[in-house]
Amino acid sequence: MKNKLDFIQNLDKDIKEAVTENFYNQDNELVLKINLKDLKKICLYFFKDLKFYLLSAFAVDESKNDGNKFKIRYIFSHSSIDLFIIIETETSGTFPSLSEEIPALNWYEREMKDLFGLIPEGHPDPRPLMLFPENYPQDIQNMHPLRKDYPFNFRPEFKKYGEYNYNKDVKGVGVFNILVGPVHAGIIEPGHFRFSMSGEPILQLEIRHFWKHRGIEKIAEGKTIYEALSLAEKISGDHCVAHSLAFLAAAEKILNIKIPENVLYIRTIYAELERLLCNINDFAWLFQDAGYSFGAQETFVLKEDIMELNKYLSGSRFNKGILSLGGINTCGNIDNLRKNVLKEKLSDFSKRYLNLKKMLLNSSTIGERFEETGYINKETILDLCALGFAARASGVPSDTRKEHPYLIYDKLHFNSKVLKNRDVFARLLIRFYDIEESFSIITQCLNELPAEDINKAGGEYADNNVNNTGDNISKNKSKNDRCIIAKNDKIDAAQQLSTDSLRSWALGYCESQRGNIIHFVKLDEKSRISRWKIRDPSFHNWQLIEFAVIGDIIADFPIVNKSLNLSYAGNDL
Amino acid sequence: MFNIIKTRIKEGIKTKKINIEDIKKDNIVIFNEELKNKLLNKSKNKNFTNNISVRVVDSGSCNACLHEMSALTNPYYDMERFGFKFVAAPKHADVLMVAGCVARNMYSALLKTYENIPHPKFVVAIGDCAMNGGVFKDSYATLGGIQDKLTVDILIKGCPPEPIDILAGLLLAFGKSAK
Ligand code: SF4
Repeated sequence: MKNKLDFIQNLDKDIKEAVTENFYNQDNELVLKINLKDLKKICLYFFKDLKFYLLSAFAVDESKNDGNKFKIRYIFSHSSIDLFIIIETETSGTFPSLSEEIPALNWYEREMKDLFGLIPEGHPDPRPLMLFPENYPQDIQNMHPLRKDYPFNFRPEFKKYGEYNYNKDVKGVGVFNILVGPVHAGIIEPGHFRFSMSGEPILQLEIRHFWKHRGIEKIAEGKTIYEALSLAEKISGDHCVAHSLAFLAAAEKILNIKIPENVLYIRTIYAELERLLCNINDFAWLFQDAGYSFGAQETFVLKEDIMELNKYLSGSRFNKGILSLGGINTCGNIDNLRKNVLKEKLSDFSKRYLNLKKMLLNSSTIGERFEETGYINKETILDLCALGFAARASGVPSDTRKEHPYLIYDKLHFNSKVLKNRDVFARLLIRFYDIEESFSIITQCLNELPAEDINKAGGEYADNNVNNTGDNISKNKSKNDRCIIAKNDKIDAAQQLSTDSLRSWALGYCESQRGNIIHFVKLDEKSRISRWKIRDPSFHNWQLIEFAVIGDIIADFPIVNKSLNLSYAGNDL
Repeated sequence: MFNIIKTRIKEGIKTKKINIEDIKKDNIVIFNEELKNKLLNKSKNKNFTNNISVRVVDSGSCNACLHEMSALTNPYYDMERFGFKFVAAPKHADVLMVAGCVARNMYSALLKTYENIPHPKFVVAIGDCAMNGGVFKDSYATLGGIQDKLTVDILIKGCPPEPIDILAGLLLAFGKSAK
């Protein structure tokens, strides 16, 4: 399974026969077109027999005047080969549900039902997912927002249309339920949890999400790439660089834009800074939730210092607004002065971090709360296709930087550690490794950063017309705000697109701190967004938590939750 | 641990100073009339003058605003030195601090929280999304910004606003002197 090009030759015979058409959309995107009736056979072949991982599944509305037509795509990948398998099929209204066999598809199929009105036949749990019956009309023909005939600003009347039904009750003597949320006691995003308890241990947890569903995918339709880029920063605020990188990767692939070498290095530096910041933040919250204020505050100070460093580098505490199509904005440039400051600060941070780590590892109270808490089994990880450090802490390798190298990760030396302990402590240890790798990656990048001035290397300038709809990113940017692009590549997206109609879509991916992010971007003839499917790692990993808490006491829930530290915003979209 | 304490004793942490006169006011909007009336009522009750409790609701933010709000409790900003504190229950709160646009699904929960805060109550909206919904204002899944749904007393602009701006806005609005 090592060779990309004759991959299709080595498949089973009846699978090959079921594929009606196959082609490479990009170097590593193999598209297999199939008929709806073969969907189950082929998906299960990849998932069960070849042990491929499900990365995303989504529908695209391609209806013309002559009736409804939807394309459904399933994206699979494997850790041993740099290849995405895209299974593509067409339907006009229903498709077979595979949730029983591939549990990771559960939410995807319910999402397609809500947003497109496509019915997954035989779905074990066909309740609405993001369009709540409390305020949104259900099962009505033209009430599916991602269909093309649904006007982008149409809002049905706000009133009660139905009730939420909990999945199953746990029954028995002394069993009671605790309901939490959507508004929580701390400064936390909204989500609803129902714990079924008997005494202290949790028997069952049901999570209900999508309280913050904002309809980003619909808003983006018809927008230019620059407008969509500013939206990408709003998917999940703490991961704004990762989401922008994934989106840009897709857009740049479609438009065939070559990125200058030094821009790649600088992008890598920012991506790693973000990973560092998020990991330190999680680390601080774990201290806090274990009741160890001293360590927590000390780590929050470190976090604040990193954010101040970000502000020094780019003018924004989250590094918002630095990336641009084909390059980076001048405000995010790393010149010699910034390079030295960055080096100096990083060596200081790493010293402080090592002290904190030592303190945590020496504390027996912390150890006792974290060890043997929140077990997640390897089988659960594989069934739900969990991503990132959650998978790596349970013995499943998952790191896009290794599997599908992007930016300059194939040139860098780093390890992606896998542990087998499965508990909260293992997830903390993985974070420690990640933090150390981030320090080392940034140092490597700084040492090898091509010496020439970035402005010269970029050659020509193109006006960067980031459209600030309601946000004031521009406030943070330097006055001479321009985007740096490669020579001779005046980015006229519309023209680029018409030359090669095959490439109207592409996948963009990157490894965020929480795990793999994958975006599907499809442009129309005017190079505006026609469909954008965003998939944050939280969408897969949230479902883990229902399994992780079983048998633990409710007081450990915050710790288990923080050990996974998932994004509600990225999940809800 | 010993190392950390040693450094802290030597260097300390420089808590950020705020000078009320130097605050950049372009990011802070105070809807004066209402707030003044409320403050007048409030100052009759001495219990309120030094302690203002804040309840945070995220009604549809991207979570960057939340990060900035929680930064207010870290040793750099330490908002408790001015008597502001985050509380867990709306019944204990004076101020409702909201981030993000009003997502359709969150609207009822937001209203419930608002109703449960005892009178007189203030609403502080954080970030451009809260202002008018920002990019989300037309979406099928939102109902616009907080301003469209509740009477907002203080608005802090920015995407996200920096913690220092949030703190400055609170100080300005509640007429606290900065130490
Ligand atoms: S104002 Fe900006 S940072 Fe705040 S929630 Fe909205 S998009 Fe996120």
